[in-house]
Amino acid sequence: MALPVLPSTSNFLAVALVINRSRDGPRFVFHYPPNVLPAHDSTGHNPSRGGDDADVDDDDDNNLLGRSSRHASLETPASSVPHAAELLQWNHDDHLVTESGTQIVPWEHVAGFPTKDLENILTPARAYHKKLFQVSLDPLVCVSYPVYVPENGVWRKKRKPQKQPDPTTPGRRDDDEPPAQTDTDGAPRNGDRKVSDVDQVDVRDMAPRPPAKTVEEAEDKKSSMTMFNLVFILNPKKHESKDLVDIMFTHIIKKINKAYKYCQQRSDFVWKESKKILALKDKAREDRKKMSVLWEEILSSSTLAASMQDLYAAVSRNRIAALQLHTVGGLVTHSVQIPVPFHLSDLPPDGGEGQRGLWLTTANTIVNDDVDEEPDYLDKNFALLLLADEKKIVTELQSDPDETTLAMVEFVRHCKATLSFHQVGQQSANVLTQAQVRKFAQHFIFWRRGIAIPPLHGRDMYIVSPNCDLRKLPEAGAKWARQFPLSPPLPNFLAELSMAPRPYKLHCPSKAHRPVYMTMLAWLMRGGWVTQLCTFAYVVVWPEIVYEVEYSLEAEDIARAKRESQERNRDKRASESSSSTLSSADVAALSDAPVDAILSGSGFLPLLDDMSDPSSSTATLRDLSLLHSPSLARVSQSQQFPPRAASDLDDSEFSPTSPNTIPSRHGPESPLSRTATPLLHDPSQPTPAEQAAEKARLERIADKAARELMDRATAHARKVIPEQTAHPSVNNARHLAGMSPHIILDAKKATGKESLYLSAIGHRLRESAATGGGSPAARRNSAVGNARGHHHHLHQPHHGPSIGRFDQADRDRIGRDKGGASDNMREWREWDERVANAWPMFWRYFNGRSALERIALQEDMKRKDAWNLLTAMSEYLLCIRHW
Amino acid sequence: MIQGIFYARFFPQEGTKIVAQSPPGCIVPVYGVSKPCLFDFSVLQEYIIPRKAFCNRYMTVVDPEGKHAVLGFPVSIPSPRYDRNEFIFNFGLVVECGVVDQIPYERVVRRLAVTFAEMEKQNYYLSQDETRNYNCGSGGGGPRSRESYCRRPIESLLEIIKEDLNNYGECMIPVDDANTINMKLFPHHMTPPEVKGWHVPVAKMKFADVVDPTWDLTLQRVITHIDGVSDVRRIAFAADVSLELTQLALRHLLFYDTILLLDMFFFGACYAPRPGIHDFLANRGGVVDECANYVCVGTAPSASSGSGSGSGSSPGAGIGERGDGGLDMSGGLGNSSGGSGAGGHRVTNYMLIKLMTTFCVGKTVMEWLKGHMDAGFDVLRFVDVRRLVQFGVIKGYLYRMHKYVVSKQYLAALATGHSRPVAGGDPLQRYTDGCHTFDQIITEQNLTDAEIMDKLKTLNVPAGDLTVFYR
Repeated sequence: MALPVLPSTSNFLAVALVINRSRDGPRFVFHYPPNVLPAHDSTGHNPSRGGDDADVDDDDDNNLLGRSSRHASLETPASSVPHAAELLQWNHDDHLVTESGTQIVPWEHVAGFPTKDLENILTPARAYHKKLFQVSLDPLVCVSYPVYVPENGVWRKKRKPQKQPDPTTPGRRDDDEPPAQTDTDGAPRNGDRKVSDVDQVDVRDMAPRPPAKTVEEAEDKKSSMTMFNLVFILNPKKHESKDLVDIMFTHIIKKINKAYKYCQQRSDFVWKESKKILALKDKAREDRKKMSVLWEEILSSSTLAASMQDLYAAVSRNRIAALQLHTVGGLVTHSVQIPVPFHLSDLPPDGGEGQRGLWLTTANTIVNDDVDEEPDYLDKNFALLLLADEKKIVTELQSDPDETTLAMVEFVRHCKATLSFHQVGQQSANVLTQAQVRKFAQHFIFWRRGIAIPPLHGRDMYIVSPNCDLRKLPEAGAKWARQFPLSPPLPNFLAELSMAPRPYKLHCPSKAHRPVYMTMLAWLMRGGWVTQLCTFAYVVVWPEIVYEVEYSLEAEDIARAKRESQERNRDKRASESSSSTLSSADVAALSDAPVDAILSGSGFLPLLDDMSDPSSSTATLRDLSLLHSPSLARVSQSQQFPPRAASDLDDSEFSPTSPNTIPSRHGPESPLSRTATPLLHDPSQPTPAEQAAEKARLERIADKAARELMDRATAHARKVIPEQTAHPSVNNARHLAGMSPHIILDAKKATGKESLYLSAIGHRLRESAATGGGSPAARRNSAVGNARGHHHHLHQPHHGPSIGRFDQADRDRIGRDKGGASDNMREWREWDERVANAWPMFWRYFNGRSALERIALQEDMKRKDAWNLLTAMSEYLLCIRHW
Repeated sequence: MIQGIFYARFFPQEGTKIVAQSPPGCIVPVYGVSKPCLFDFSVLQEYIIPRKAFCNRYMTVVDPEGKHAVLGFPVSIPSPRYDRNEFIFNFGLVVECGVVDQIPYERVVRRLAVTFAEMEKQNYYLSQDETRNYNCGSGGGGPRSRESYCRRPIESLLEIIKEDLNNYGECMIPVDDANTINMKLFPHHMTPPEVKGWHVPVAKMKFADVVDPTWDLTLQRVITHIDGVSDVRRIAFAADVSLELTQLALRHLLFYDTILLLDMFFFGACYAPRPGIHDFLANRGGVVDECANYVCVGTAPSASSGSGSGSGSSPGAGIGERGDGGLDMSGGLGNSSGGSGAGGHRVTNYMLIKLMTTFCVGKTVMEWLKGHMDAGFDVLRFVDVRRLVQFGVIKGYLYRMHKYVVSKQYLAALATGHSRPVAGGDPLQRYTDGCHTFDQIITEQNLTDAEIMDKLKTLNVPAGDLTVFYR
């Protein structure tokens, strides 16, 4: 998530209110900050330089038509042109008087333009009602969202009593939609309604009013303000112009104008305040008041002006602007902000200094995939890290109490950076519901009081974030020293964290220090100083497994091809001499035997038929394999409960096909081949000669196919029979030499061969002990091997340091667990069983995107358990560590 | 794409009028064209010919639908020659909003305004035209054309401009006997980041093939030393150019996106994976094979340079070959790359992935190398480690963990505002605020890492004040 272009004092110059009146025309009401200096172009213009040669560059184009008239035309009468020098020295606070007696009023020039001209250009036609209005006056860009009076000329809405909100809190702080929408017309709270709709609604609202005009309405008419327009004057860099306008418009301009519209509709707020401000300005003009004095006066007497000040002050520093408008109807509060991401998923490029100090993580706080709940749903396994002191937030909440304050305070008290939302919900079950916890968390995050992080844990590793902002180190060091006076100084602590990564708790001198150290960690997280070092895994399929799967696929394929050819023979015979199919089926069964033997001998899992080599030549064959659904079901079933031998397979195959009267072992195929045969013979009635020729041809083809099949079978038989070793990763048998391991990118979405690999690995895990189980001695050996063995892999060079960096404590623990169990075969078997059962469950984490550290929370397991299971699988995992 | 182009004028009596437009009917309806206008002219006309205060500047406005932007440069020429002493016109473009990058068109608009304003000032090109077309119009304020030379009407001129810019991105249009308008749409490049002395530039193209004698002399000197190994300071030294000029020249190359800036490679440096490494595992776009071509030792140089040119043609590839083509391992390790004992051996994709993914926080390249050697894989025989690391860094799979040294007392002094506690003290002190990497100290002080550490030990600070950390 890239950081958006944000407003700052350099690209956000001012905010100005302009109104239009039906009789008196437009008026420039107020602007803030008071002194908006003319934005300087990158090149100071120099009228003397304007050459007229053909290849003037951009800057010359700029200069050729120098803006000498800018100041010259401040006032319309030519005689009143003030001296340029005088203007340059003008402090923009006092009034100037030209020789001709024309008064130059400081507030009547904004950003180098006379307000008389600006007020005209900034009151666009009604076509812009509630639309983006954007005018660029090189280099300024004026952006706004003009609001017009409804067509009937009356601002005020007829109040609907049932929708009347509590006047004191119509726009609560947590209400992220402007209040204007909450009760105007009860339309869906959707910012992008069509303007025409709104207009219609407005008109309809007026319709039921009695034709006799009330006093209020007459007053409304008299006010005759036809539109108001809160204009944002920006000075963006060329390339950021569009982004800045977009972001300001969606998050600030639109919302604030809607809030004003709401107040205007309810109590004629904007017009009343404007009148007040204009009156003050007129009077000050007479009195030649200093601009600074006047502005103070206006800001203290008008909440509209004050709100513009707040708005500018907050938005230009990218804070949350909280507006308080004292309307006749009561206090209206409203907050706007530009939401900024609180984390980055990758390091910003070299120039991205603005993003320094952001928390670096790939953890996704929002549940978006495969959850059918509403989007923007916070992951329940995240924790809330408050960005300010808990006490401070509580006082902040209590300063503006309402019905939810108590619950929120409760929430703040329960929320710990080490507890997931789910756990918080459980712990405070009597006070807070899960939904509340999430809602509050979202609320806190939206209003920048907290961020969502994976719960902090002493066993996890934290490293110095490569994105931390070292320019802040001096201040941060001082703050750290104040907050944790007894802890090591910040630079030392960072140095310690940055050396070799290890579990955080190992940095902690004793158990008693644990809570303080966790607070320190939270502090570091808050400042973006550290980030969690996570482990991401992919499944590695070792050559041994690849070979095994290939081999059994081939065996299956050949066996099936044999069956097909026999079936064809049988069908041919049946059609020719209508002899019994029984005998051929027997033959088929017989000839299948060796392959079956191979299958049963090596104890392979049965494989999907449609996975087979697509080189099965004839079309009928392909059709058959496609229409193989019963056996497909069978295979998928047997994948879950893999038979130990092929004989089991035969049994299971027979039972579902029993209704089929043909006693062939290939029941499901027979009806098909029967339907296929007529197709071959039906189309015409060929002559005997043709028939003979056709028969000979078919025979030739069949012979050839049979020969090829034989060749393949012999070639296959010559191949080395796959052998399962205890550690496929180090199996360097000769027949595996040329093969390289295969990496499955996303185990959950694996299809085809990859899914076969996965299930083959699953078998290995289940039988890692059982295969050697023939002899108890071997079993014991492997058990002892396992006692070291499961982490024996850890030391293996192939696994390298990635997973080898499981912390020592974990290893010891596993060692202890296993050590106690090593002499008990049953427990071993159970353990293998557990690993094998967890294997498919964990697939969804083996995609290089889900941190293994978070499995325990997500699966609601004990951390130790999850780690042990993962360690047991580690031989088949390729691990990468980043954030 | 330019949707429409127009010439608007302010007439003292009729007000703002569109005099010429292309395509016809794009701004105001004309007889015979049924296609609707791009926007409502009446709404926008006050922004096309604005008040005097806004004239003579580039001005744009977006129509209420937010679909089109009108880019114009209203020009006002004050002269007693004209009615009301002023001639106001605007040559404007209409482009789609949001779809098109408007920045390149700004120059076009400026150029049109400047050229026609100048032509009007010199020989009343526009007002003449007006008198001819509107003979019965304003009663003879403008000077009449005496010579009736044949010239292109503005409407067709506009059409050519629009068509040429849309189709070719540039145009060269003779307006009359004496004047030609040359315009081109230039893409907008971002200001490149600063080039520091400790950056290592890597060429993305073969400069030797494109350089010609008209290039800047400094640039010509500098590019011959860009080899993907030398840092900027070294290049400056080798090219006998001052460091500042070298930086400037390289920044120029950076502006046109023809070089990349990397960090210096040391066997003692730490590199760690970034999330982007997923793409490497997935071999997205055959990146592992690209990597193999780049890093494998012993593959014939011709093959490797062939792959280099191949990658140069594909847009995703960021690495060009170095000019010399030879492989020089930096770091002076006794490796067998010279001897072709392992000639032509291509490391498997899995092994490359293994190598790339085993970089780890807090592990130096040396330690990484040793780990693989111990595991029985003689990395140096098969892989150019520097190139592997650079490949990872360029593609965003790895990041360099930089080394910093901070002095706590210096930090404390900075926090309280006394930024320079010991003026003219040890030259190393100013590096101890945490913002300066060891790379910087190495290049600026011309010291090695070990020498810096030694010097730091003798730095006049309390014991335990200095801390070295990595980021």
